[in-house]
Amino acid sequence: MTATTGAPQTAHPERPGKSDGVCSEFTVFTKIKPGHADALREDLATLADAADDERVHAAVRQIGTLHDARHVIFDNDTRFMFASVFDGSWDAYIDDFAQTVVGERFDRVFSHSEGFPGVKDPGVKDWFIAHQEPAGVFVSAYPDLTVQQIYKDHRVEEAFEEVLDTPEFRAALENPANAELVATPSFQKLLEEASA
Amino acid sequence: MSTADSRSAAGVRVEIDDVQSGALRPRPVPYEGKFIFLRVDDRHAGRALLRRLLPVTSGGLPSADRSQDAWVAVAFTYQGLRALGVPQESLDSFPRAFREGMAARAELIGDVGESAPDRWEAPFGTGDVHIALSALASDAAQLGKELERARVAFEDTPGVQVIWQQEVRQLPTGRTTFGFRDGISHPNIEGVGLPGSNPQETPIKAGEFILGYPDETGSLPPMPTPDVLGRNGTYAAVRKVHTNVAAWRRYLRANSSGAEQEALLAAKMVGRWPSGAPLTLAPEHDDPELAADPHRVNNFLYRENDDRGYRCPAGAHIRRTNPRDSTIIGDARMHRLIRRGTTYGPPLPEGVLEDDGADRGLVGVFLGAHLERQFEFIKAEWINDGNFIGYPGEKDAVAGHHGGTGTVTIPEKPVRRRLQNLPSFVVTRGGEYCFVPGLRALRWLAELED
Repeated sequence: MTATTGAPQTAHPERPGKSDGVCSEFTVFTKIKPGHADALREDLATLADAADDERVHAAVRQIGTLHDARHVIFDNDTRFMFASVFDGSWDAYIDDFAQTVVGERFDRVFSHSEGFPGVKDPGVKDWFIAHQEPAGVFVSAYPDLTVQQIYKDHRVEEAFEEVLDTPEFRAALENPANAELVATPSFQKLLEEASA
Repeated sequence: MSTADSRSAAGVRVEIDDVQSGALRPRPVPYEGKFIFLRVDDRHAGRALLRRLLPVTSGGLPSADRSQDAWVAVAFTYQGLRALGVPQESLDSFPRAFREGMAARAELIGDVGESAPDRWEAPFGTGDVHIALSALASDAAQLGKELERARVAFEDTPGVQVIWQQEVRQLPTGRTTFGFRDGISHPNIEGVGLPGSNPQETPIKAGEFILGYPDETGSLPPMPTPDVLGRNGTYAAVRKVHTNVAAWRRYLRANSSGAEQEALLAAKMVGRWPSGAPLTLAPEHDDPELAADPHRVNNFLYRENDDRGYRCPAGAHIRRTNPRDSTIIGDARMHRLIRRGTTYGPPLPEGVLEDDGADRGLVGVFLGAHLERQFEFIKAEWINDGNFIGYPGEKDAVAGHHGGTGTVTIPEKPVRRRLQNLPSFVVTRGGEYCFVPGLRALRWLAELED
């Protein structure tokens, strides 16, 4: 299953960053405050902790536009990278993120970076954009699919698989009363997808 | 000026009497009104005009006597502030969206195609609109009195020109040109002392609507300098929107099997019945009695009884533009607005399916402290896309620009219904971003020197 309509793309033309279909990449590079690398490493370890896993995945689900994200310490503990892929424009929902557990994570992690004003500061978008480095190339394996569409497709597919495995479904296919529906091109397409 | 400050539980003092009445209080029902745009060719004349307008401009809460309910509000575009000689440093301190103006943001907010600025009605988007006056009253006589007082202020002022006027009034039906009662929702604003329309809405921080107070993020909204100019001000997105009522009726007719179905389909797209009764509380039939009860007409949330949208579809206009507690991407409280919709033009007579060529629609005013996070976000994310409710690319059924290829999903059992090939039912005729200063700020503007 794919998205039923064209690629939704909110136009924020002034924002840097490359897009492919419905999603955009967002990568920031910052300077780690002198002496903060270990504290940052500790914070990242806590955030990666299994105990926190459920909470984080719940938050990512709540955000609903984030495909993936990564935090990387590099350059001999002097620099820090955050990279992610979002649906639509990055800044559409940044004010909202600040209100969630993800906002807390951002606050904690970026507090080790020089000049970070705090995720609820009105100037935070400008700070992120000032530290953003647009990708030279950005390519998605599924440019038509938003996170929401992927969730939906997954739910429908699971439910469909469940129906396929019942003897009642096979019987319904062979029931002459359903012949008209089964013969339609859209139903044939469904069976074609389900046949292997 | 009296200082009847109100105080919220959190101790926020909102200087209500310094906030223009037009910014906060709901419009009267019924109403008569007029919008007037002025161009300032000479800054000294502009300031003289402001000095005469000051005593006419009302602040504070509504008059207890509804028959005396009338007010004039004054707002400025970025070009207008410049024309009045506001110092550059101060001009530069306004947020980007306001400085650029609505026309420059057209692509972002979806004013494209026949709604694009190059097709707007003059003087929208030309840079000539400097001062926007609005007068609203509960009847024509009151409005006349207010307008007369305002007219004395700007008449015979060489150097200031009236360049556009638009009369608005509630139709005899009490409904919009599409046939639906509007003006029902008003946010519950902390520390202001006006009741919100939904008793279940937790009060929203004053800083979401008025500059100078903390907002939902806990920070002060970015405010222009000097402080006296920004404090107690707000922003208004003013839009004239033509409604294609015949196309709306034809689409409903073509996609229904009878009058009852047609009424239900229209309600599914709007989220309310013509009387104003919400589908969430009246899912099967209109309920004028419920609609007439101010304690019930807006007293609902979505999640508990209607999370999947079997009553009010997630894509319905009122649910998109104010999702309340719906399961959506993001935080609905970050995107509240004060909406002031007014109707212009003659109604299309009942039952008519062909366009009569008349211009009709609404002049909408959308007020809040954050143009980008409120008005622009709602237009871009909630009206012009559906990803936030799980329908990527699907636009607002009523307010979206569909160009004949739109879809709208209506949850139903056993399977949802998806309408295809939606035309656009609205066309933007023009719009401006305005700053609505507090009364002290208005005086500051009037007394600028050089």
